[in-house]
Amino acid sequence: MTSGTLQGMTQDSMMTKTDPQAAKIPEVALAVRNLNFYYGENHALHDISVDFQARRVTAMIGPSGCGKSTLLRIFNRMYDLYPGQRATGEVMFDGRNILDHDLDLNILRARVGMVFQKPTPFPMSIYDNIAFGVRLHEKLNKADMDARVQDVLTRVALWNEVRDRLNAPASGLSGGQQQRLCIARSIATRPEVLLLDEPTSALDPISTARIEELLDELKEEFTIAIVTHNMQQAARCADQVAFFYMGRLIEVDSADRMFTNPKQQQTQDYITGRFG
Amino acid sequence: MSDSVVSTNGWKPNPRAARRRSADHVATAFGMVMAGILVLVLASILWTLLSRGLAGLSAAAIMKPMGPPGSSSGLANAIVGSLIQTFLALLLATPLGLGCGIYLSEYGTDTNKFASCVRFVSDVLMSVPSILVGLFVYQVMVAPFGHFSALAGSVALAILAVPIIVRTTEDMLRLVPTAMREAGAALGATRWRVTLSLCLRSAKTGVLTGILLALARVSGETAPLLFTSLGNQNWSFSLTRPMASLPVTIYQYAGASYEDWVQLAWAGALLVTMGVLAINIAVRVSARRG
Repeated sequence: MTSGTLQGMTQDSMMTKTDPQAAKIPEVALAVRNLNFYYGENHALHDISVDFQARRVTAMIGPSGCGKSTLLRIFNRMYDLYPGQRATGEVMFDGRNILDHDLDLNILRARVGMVFQKPTPFPMSIYDNIAFGVRLHEKLNKADMDARVQDVLTRVALWNEVRDRLNAPASGLSGGQQQRLCIARSIATRPEVLLLDEPTSALDPISTARIEELLDELKEEFTIAIVTHNMQQAARCADQVAFFYMGRLIEVDSADRMFTNPKQQQTQDYITGRFG
Repeated sequence: MSDSVVSTNGWKPNPRAARRRSADHVATAFGMVMAGILVLVLASILWTLLSRGLAGLSAAAIMKPMGPPGSSSGLANAIVGSLIQTFLALLLATPLGLGCGIYLSEYGTDTNKFASCVRFVSDVLMSVPSILVGLFVYQVMVAPFGHFSALAGSVALAILAVPIIVRTTEDMLRLVPTAMREAGAALGATRWRVTLSLCLRSAKTGVLTGILLALARVSGETAPLLFTSLGNQNWSFSLTRPMASLPVTIYQYAGASYEDWVQLAWAGALLVTMGVLAINIAVRVSARRG
């Protein structure tokens, strides 16, 4: 390590990993400040402030109803689909507060992709599942589109399994394959941030392992925020872990410290399985 | 009986169980008898229709237009008239019904007053007597122009078809999981794009079934046509003129005192029934495929 990067390390005490990427000061992709969220009268998130570092995996953990999925769904303004849900505060992304009313949601969602708990293949072919999102934002010729489809399917390790049946309906794939297809679909629009809402909770252990491996590769390129109920998954995949309880952010730290030496008693109780 | 197993007398007859069993037999028998009666009624209608209709169904009945009694005339202009009017009705009703169903499902949330109003009106329209629809169209499309027209007939049939399409479209779209809409929106698709490319596409079998059901429903309607397209003894392809149709012809011919007209009425009834049957089979097949 050079002295320059060592200086960087002192500026950011959170960094504990020793891979070459970690030597640089990670830039902040999403900066959440004083965020409050309401489902109608129900105050679901209280004064959340947290940074999501670029090209890092941040896992959000906590018992059901703690607000972790709610926070995730703020980052692509998913809550806008439902009247009566509103957010106040600030979520800075590339110099803009994404909570601004005049923000172009279609552009935001092209830059912030999302994968859901259950695989949601569209009622069309495997190829068109990928091309659907791309066509919304770019005009590609056939060759470029083919290349894009092959590229993303290769990256989610699905290409060899589906190369011969790209025109078959996506609903014919297994659950694990469908979820990898959904991840491929999300990265095909070339987003900067990838939101994952319990992406493996409906999958078997082998499919889960493949998706976790995939996350490790994807974080070289994307900022990843993942909601999970699985402590081991958070420990395996995440660089940073945020613990939520009853709509409040209790603690956020590097994964290593969070699971070995949490500062808060509540965090300790949760990760050791005493509640939740 | 073997003595090797000691009986605890747990197998002695239980009067309550016997009573329950006989009640079960009675209920089953009742259901079977009722179902049998219904099938019998339907079978006798179909049998009468087939035996009388087939006798009147000839090449001439299908190929030749209507004519005076005793002239070996047919139903050709009524068949074609029915086809024109029902398909024009479907052409008018489908976009309206689809659009309205999409609005109610995708935009008309439960708190939306206008949407609940539209839903209520559409449901009421579904049970309005068809002759009222005929009278209404007579008032707005026949009386002001001073003559009956095929177009007025189609409009009357369309009014009957719309609520069926609205209801099935809304129901089928509501079956599409929210996750599908969210996944589409998460890719940056507009609401309209999500509705059209994802929701409508995954509900297409059900929506198509609704359109076919509406077609089956209106293809046998007589009352709405009596005051609108009136009927016509001759060939006419003009939408602004009176046009013949099978149900109205059946109505006119069945009560006539000429033997050949009554025969043609039976043949026409058989044709309408077979048409509706064919549509219903198409519905079943398309539903199974979806």
